[in-house]
Amino acid sequence: MTMTTDTGRAGTRDRPGFWGRLSTFGPYTALTDVLLSSPRRQFWVLLTIPILWVFVTHLGPILQMLNVSLLTNYPPSPNKVASYTLENYSKFFADSIFITPFIRTLVFSTVLTLTTLIIMYPVAYFLARHVPRNKQMLFLMLLLIPFWVGEVVRIFAMMILLGNNGALNLALQWLGLTERPIPFMYTGFSLSAGIIYLTALYMLMPLYSALEKIPTSYGEAAADLGAGPWTRFRRITLPLSLEGIASGCTLVFLISTGMYATPVLLGGPSTTLFSEVIAGFFHVAGDQWPVGAAFSCIMLLTALALSGGFNKLMGHLAGRVKK
Amino acid sequence: MTRNTRILMQCIYWAFVLYLLVPLALMMLMGFKDSKFIGFPIRSWTLDWYLGVFGDAAVMQAFGYSMFIAVASTAIALFMGVWIAVALTGRSFWGRAIVLGLTLLPAVIPGVISAISFRIAARVIGMEPGMWAIIWSHAIHNVPFVVLVVMARLTTLPKSYGEAAQDLGADPIITFFRVTLPYLSPAMVGGGVFCMLLSFDDFVRSFFLGGYEPTLPVLIFAKLRSGMSPEINAISTIVLVLTALLGLWAERSMRGMSKRAAND
Repeated sequence: MTMTTDTGRAGTRDRPGFWGRLSTFGPYTALTDVLLSSPRRQFWVLLTIPILWVFVTHLGPILQMLNVSLLTNYPPSPNKVASYTLENYSKFFADSIFITPFIRTLVFSTVLTLTTLIIMYPVAYFLARHVPRNKQMLFLMLLLIPFWVGEVVRIFAMMILLGNNGALNLALQWLGLTERPIPFMYTGFSLSAGIIYLTALYMLMPLYSALEKIPTSYGEAAADLGAGPWTRFRRITLPLSLEGIASGCTLVFLISTGMYATPVLLGGPSTTLFSEVIAGFFHVAGDQWPVGAAFSCIMLLTALALSGGFNKLMGHLAGRVKK
Repeated sequence: MTRNTRILMQCIYWAFVLYLLVPLALMMLMGFKDSKFIGFPIRSWTLDWYLGVFGDAAVMQAFGYSMFIAVASTAIALFMGVWIAVALTGRSFWGRAIVLGLTLLPAVIPGVISAISFRIAARVIGMEPGMWAIIWSHAIHNVPFVVLVVMARLTTLPKSYGEAAQDLGADPIITFFRVTLPYLSPAMVGGGVFCMLLSFDDFVRSFFLGGYEPTLPVLIFAKLRSGMSPEINAISTIVLVLTALLGLWAERSMRGMSKRAAND
């Protein structure tokens, strides 16, 4: 058997190429006879490894974290026997030094997600609606390039902008708006500016692709029927972009709850986030691993539950629009 | 939309572009400052910081280390990602939704929690922190992105291609290598470069799973904590240029893909 669909490889037509020879190679045909003899077998040949991979490597680490969170001590030590306990979880509720950063993380992430949405919606709308098709890629590129640069490098760029000798303070002093440098760094302000800087793209892309899909004729038809710009936005554009809003908000929320380098470098003692608390259990003392694992589980469950609930709500709203 | 709101949106767009690009431009500039202290104003200029990067053994080593990790983890992610995408596309079976959900799981777990779960899992299976632990975690984290890109491409593959190959006598394995894989190649280049960028830029997983040798982002982080000097600007700028070039390349290959798909 020779497949001649190949392009530009003259000569393979006359004598069998690699694949032709393989398909008549004894051991290979024997193997395929066994593996591919029935659709059922083909299915298992194809799916066994993916199923094993996702259960063992994708789900496995989370389950192991859950397991460790229920142990009295981990990593195992010879003089202490580990047993199961719920104490690691009760530690969280016992002390406000843990609950405060937890609440702060949730409030921070929620507020920043909404802020990012409010900033990015006009940007995405402008890109999808007002920039000519052939220029959209260029305008999008201007926003994309900074996002290929890593987290740490971008945080550093933010530090240069906001430092006491930073460009922003220099500009403000030069304009005469302030005499002394304003301490932007290590505050909620610098942390917010950094998180928005890092997550905005994850809001932009879903919004842009949702807005781009809405046919312009819908708006024109509504205008013909006498709908004003605000009504057209509220009744057509906004409902049809709900899906983009939902996935953008989910991504930004989940990413900002999991940030570690950003709060360490841009935040201060008054803005400690839960990720820093969790990391502390792994770096300061080794035998605190179970507590860190328990706190991670609390964070993960809360973040997934909140974003799942939010998505349900948005799906419900979007469903009502379709009716 | 009225004219005014349109102008307002245009202003927001350009203000946002400035917000994104100005800090990076300032960072590049600061690398030319002829002083040990970061901060404005810049009074005299030098190229020494940039030239110094190439002579700094620690930086070059971290660069090579990060590069190797990026390539190795991308290879694993591509292999598994393509396999999973092919297995899940166009097939319905009981539990498919569960497998798909689990496939995408690593992409939605907040960064620090994912890093910690990998740290614990590595300890449980007796894997030492270090290069292989980082490669393993990056590969798992990147699989969902490969699956999404490859699945999007696979759904545009006309069924007739595979049927034609089978009619000509190719078995499913040969059909995969001769028809499906070549068709997927732009998605694999685009997805692969994206994975390399994610791995090369990753901080949190490399930080928690690293041994004594730092990856480049971890090295920059350590330098940032111990005191800033324009050397970090020079390193960061070089990283920025490299990642931007890689990203542009990936974007081009993905764009070629959607164009060709439209023509097919």
